[in-house]
Amino acid sequence: MANILIVDDSSTMRKIISRSLRQAGLTVDEIYEAGDGIEGLGVLASGKPVTLILSDINMPNMDGLEFIKQVRANGNPVPIVMITTEGGEEILKEAIASGASDSIKKPFTPEQLQEKLGGLI
Amino acid sequence: MSLNAEIAESARFTEEQLAKYVIDATKNVFSTMIMMDPSDEYPLKDPIHRFQCSITGMVGFAGIYSGVISIHCPVALALQITSSMLGMECDEVNEDLNDAIGEIANMLGGSVKQVLSKGGMDVKLSIPTVISGEDYTVNSLSDIDCVVIPFSVNDNKFLVGLTLKKED
Repeated sequence: MANILIVDDSSTMRKIISRSLRQAGLTVDEIYEAGDGIEGLGVLASGKPVTLILSDINMPNMDGLEFIKQVRANGNPVPIVMITTEGGEEILKEAIASGASDSIKKPFTPEQLQEKLGGLI
Repeated sequence: MSLNAEIAESARFTEEQLAKYVIDATKNVFSTMIMMDPSDEYPLKDPIHRFQCSITGMVGFAGIYSGVISIHCPVALALQITSSMLGMECDEVNEDLNDAIGEIANMLGGSVKQVLSKGGMDVKLSIPTVISGEDYTVNSLSDIDCVVIPFSVNDNKFLVGLTLKKED
C-alpha cells in the first residue's frame, strides 16, 4: 500500500498517472496532487503521510530538480521517481544525484509503471 | 514547406530524418497515451497558416537550438483526444481541453529534444502554450523553415509542425 504524491503542472497528466497506477494493478491508498514543486512542498509540510513521490521535471514556479533538492534538504527520505518528457542523460543524472530513485519517460504505459514502481509500492 | 537545407546541414539532420522523428514521436504519443493510431500523410503539399474551429498547442526550444513544435487540430478531434486521455467525456472547450493539448505538445517536444540534445542540459523546453478560436493564423516571425506533417485519425486531420534553428 502507498500514499502517492503526484507533482505535475498538467492536470491531465496527473489524472493519467492516477488511472495508470490502477491499470497497472498497483495498490494505492491515497493520491495527493500538486501543480508544481512549491505546491508539492506544501503537501509534504502539511503532514500528509506520503510514501512515494512521482514528479515531473519541467514545471513553472519550482521545477522538479529544485523540488527534489528541497525535499532532501528538509531531511525527507521518501522515494522520488521522476515522470517526465525529459530523457536527457545529464538531466536524469542530476535528478539521481539530487535524490531521485528512478525515472520514467513520458509517454509511458501502465506496464512500464508496474515495472518501475512495483518494487516501491 | 521544407526544412532549410543550411539548417538541416548545421543541425546534422536531413528534412526526411526530422520528419521521421516527428512522425515517430507523434505516433508513439498517440498510441501510448491517447489510444489512437494516426496515419501520416507526409509531405504536406501546401503551407497551412490559417485554422478554423481549431486548437493549437506549442512548446518552444531554447539553447543550442531554438524553435517550436506545435500540434494543430480541429476542436472536434481535440474533444475526442481529451476524452480518451482523461477517460471521461469532454464536450466543450475548457481548461481540460487546453491542458490535454498542451501536454501532447509537451511530450512531442520532449521526444524531439532527445534527438537534439543527448544530455538534455543544452536545450531547454518551454512550458506549453495553447491557443484556440473560430478563425486564427499561426506564423513564425523569423524566416525559419519547418517540417509540417499532416496526420489522419478517426476521419479527422491534424498537423504537427517543427521549426528549428541551430544557434551560433
